[in-house]
Parts: sequence; structure tokens; C-alpha cells
Amino acid sequence: MIVDCNAYIGHYAFRRLHYNTGDGILQLMDRAGIDRACVSSAGAIMYRNSQAGNEELLEEIEPHRDRLIPFAVLNPTYAAWERDITWCKSVLGAKGLRLYPSYHMYKLSDFCCSEMIEAATELGMMISIPVRAEDSRQRHWLVQAPDVPLNDIAALVAGHPNARFIVLEGLGFRGSDLVRKADELPHNYWIEMSRPDPLFDKELQFVKDALGAERLVFGTGICFKYPEPALLRMKVLQATEDEKADIYAGNMLRLLGE
Amino acid sequence: MFEDVPLIDTHAHVMYSDPDADDSRQRGLDAAYVEAADVLGIDILVVSCPMVRKPTTPEIFRHANSLVIDAMQKWPGRIWLTTYINPGWTREAIAEIQRTAELEDMVAIKLLWDYNCSDPVCFPVIEKAIELDKIIIIHQAHHTNMLFNRRHFDVDAADVVAVANRYPEAKIIADHIGGGGDWEWTIKTLAEAPNVLQEISGSNFDENIVDMQLQYLGADRMVFACDCSMSSSMGKFRALQAGTEDKKKIAGGNFLRLCGRL
Repeated sequence: MIVDCNAYIGHYAFRRLHYNTGDGILQLMDRAGIDRACVSSAGAIMYRNSQAGNEELLEEIEPHRDRLIPFAVLNPTYAAWERDITWCKSVLGAKGLRLYPSYHMYKLSDFCCSEMIEAATELGMMISIPVRAEDSRQRHWLVQAPDVPLNDIAALVAGHPNARFIVLEGLGFRGSDLVRKADELPHNYWIEMSRPDPLFDKELQFVKDALGAERLVFGTGICFKYPEPALLRMKVLQATEDEKADIYAGNMLRLLGE
Repeated sequence: MFEDVPLIDTHAHVMYSDPDADDSRQRGLDAAYVEAADVLGIDILVVSCPMVRKPTTPEIFRHANSLVIDAMQKWPGRIWLTTYINPGWTREAIAEIQRTAELEDMVAIKLLWDYNCSDPVCFPVIEKAIELDKIIIIHQAHHTNMLFNRRHFDVDAADVVAVANRYPEAKIIADHIGGGGDWEWTIKTLAEAPNVLQEISGSNFDENIVDMQLQYLGADRMVFACDCSMSSSMGKFRALQAGTEDKKKIAGGNFLRLCGRL
């Protein structure tokens, strides 16, 4: 079984996405052999009112709840996020949040972010943090949204030991506190593997060996990205079959409480 | 991958080290590159060594090319040479092209960002490559993030097209569609220059990136490459929605055709 913890549907403000509907992403998942995917709204990244994106997401996933697992995008600086998070849990059925501090103009260390993480944790939701929505080298000329520093995420996970975090779209783990200071941090964060390569610079292999296979989760970044590179990374990663099964699905299913 | 066509990484590197420096780490990375190629089924690596101290003197680019030649001897038949030069040193650059062209497996010259490829200072080396019937591989990227790296920003597909229009007989490959920058802009710009091919390497594997390349450039104008992003590049090659014959062209057929080896 393959569970993709890093998937998106909807419109992105700066580039046409294909396969970006509920039906469309299933086509892409079938092509790649992905059974289930954690999806959030791509539109919500740039909407002022992210909740509208979550409402769009509900319409798209409703016929496909057996395969599409909703994650909500919320902005802790925006009005009524407290009400919205309750709706996301009870109506959308969101299993977690996705945070975009660079796009929503706050820092992970801000009090409002801390409040929202505590509220999500109370509701049993995990927190996923995409380090980037897209490669900053192609950013739209109107947008200045730097990648989220991995060390900021390390400080966040240390400050919220009861919360559960997934780091999406990360790279450069070797020099980050998430790996260098892993022994000092609570074991409350998991690394999604779509960007680091197990070959040549062998970063993915390094992360797996440093943190253990139980701390990696499979992700692709569809439909922003092709799924095939992540699948190839898994194929060539040096790990036992049991470890690969955990990365492909087991670890994420445990996080989902299944 | 294909029995009748080799898979050629047309944009590979060895790592630079100064002549008197401990180069064990760099040579370890070279071995890791070849090992990765083995895992991915890549048959031939077309290698340059342009990531050197700037400004690049003739001593440096001659040493850089010698490092590739050393690797050719270490992995015989596996590695072909892309000669890197700084076109600002006109006489020395042309002499280096001439020196390395005596090697059977020297197939291309590399223009990095030492100068914009459309700068007249580059014309003599471009003309030398044409005279020797060698491919000209040009670094480019249309970065929209000016803060990222100004040097990278200095050469983009429009500059490559300017060279192609000036030298329609030249065999040109534009570097890495996935090397960062607005790839939609790049593809649409390159579409206007029929004597330019583009390779698919780079860490970016946005959905549709190589399918749009196929749509605008066609399979005859695409070539496989990794540029150190091994599984990202192979993954997007696998993702490309093209038929087997088109994939064979991209895998190696087009490059062999440019080299006159098909």
C-alpha cells in the first residue's frame, strides 16, 4: 500500500495545475500506484480567506473519501480561524493542518501560530508544514515568500512536544537541527521524502539512517509535481522491505490513527 | 533502458579541486556519480567541470578539463568530455578546445556564465566549435527571483536564441529545464530556435515540465540529462507521456545524432 502525505488539489495562483480536481488527482494516483493521499487546497495558499479553499476541498473530496484524506489550510492571523478549525475538523473531517507562514505573513514563533497548533492538537489534528509551495527560483514577480527555515521548524517542534508535525518539501536536512539535534528534540516530527535524493549526495539515505525509517513518510507533491521521482527515490533507497512498507504507508497510517 | 539506444546523461560533472589540494572528497563524489548512474541504468556520462573559482583563468580551465580526462581514463568508454573554457581568454580558450578535441570522446564545449553567451567575446569559441563540428552546451535559466543568484540570472533562453539565430548551423543544447527559473517562459522562448535542443535535468520536477517541453519543442529537440539531480531527472523522464520511439530519441538518439554517431 502507498499513502501519499503530500498532495494538493484546486487552482494555484501562478501556474496552471493539471489533475487538480478530485477525479483528476485519482487519475494521477492510479498512474503512480498510490492508494490514498492527504490532500489540501492549493487555492487556499493565496486566498486571503483560506477557509474558502477548505470549502472547495470538501466539494472535491466528498465522493472519494475512501482515498482522499483532507488536510486544512488555515492562517492564524486571519479572522475567525478558531471557528474555521472546528468546521475543518467536524465537517471537512480534516486530519491535520497545513501551515504557510511565508505566504500568510507570520512566523512559526508567533504566539498566534502557537495558539493554532495547540487548538489543532486538542482536536487530534497533526500539523504539516510545506517548506515551500514551489521553487522560489520561479516565484511570481509579485510574491516574496522565502522557504521556511528547517531550524525554525526544529524550534517549533521543541516548543510543542504534544503536537505531531510532518515536514513537507524539505531539503538540506544534513545541516539542520532537525537532524543534528534530533536526540535533543521530542520525537514528534516526521520527514516527507519527495525532495532529498538517495543517490549521489545521498541526503535521503542520510536522513533515513540518522532518524530511522520510522520517521520518514512517503510523499510526492502531486499535482504540483510529478509523482515518479518520489517513487524512484523509494525504489533505490537502501532499506529493508519492512522499512519501506513503513515509509510507504505504515508510518502515516499510524499517524492517522488507522 | 533501451537495447538499441544508450541512455546518455548529457549534463554530468566531476568536482573541481585545486592541483595541490586534498581532493579525496571530490573524487568520492565522482565515484558516487558513476555509482548512481549504474543504479539508474545510465550508460554514458557527458562530463564537464565548470564549477571552479571565478574568474576562471586558463590554468584553472585547463586543470578542470584534465580532471575530466582523468575520469575518462578511470572509467574508460563511460565518460565523454565537454570541454569547459572561459571565452574571455580567446586564444587560450581556442587552444584548449583544439587540444581536447584530439580526444575521440570530446563531443562538446560548455559555456557557463563567465560571459553571457550572446556577448561577442563568445563568438570565436562558438565559431571554433562549429568548425570542429562540436556541440555547444549553454548554461541558462530564467530566474524570477533576483535575490537567488545574480550570476545565474544573467543568461537565459533569450540569450541562447540570440546565439542560435546568429549561428543557425550551430548545434546547441540549452541546459536544464529543471535547473530553476520560470520553465514555461524558457520553453516558449526556445521554441522559436529550431537549432536549439534542451535537456531535461535539474532538481525541479514540476508536473508538466517535460510534457510542455515535448509539446513545444518536440521529441527531436529534447535530450536526457541529470546535472547531479539523479532521481529527480530520471523520475521526470519516466513521467514524460511520450511513446517509446520518442523516448529513445530523448534518451540518447538525439545526442548521438548531434555527435554524428548514429
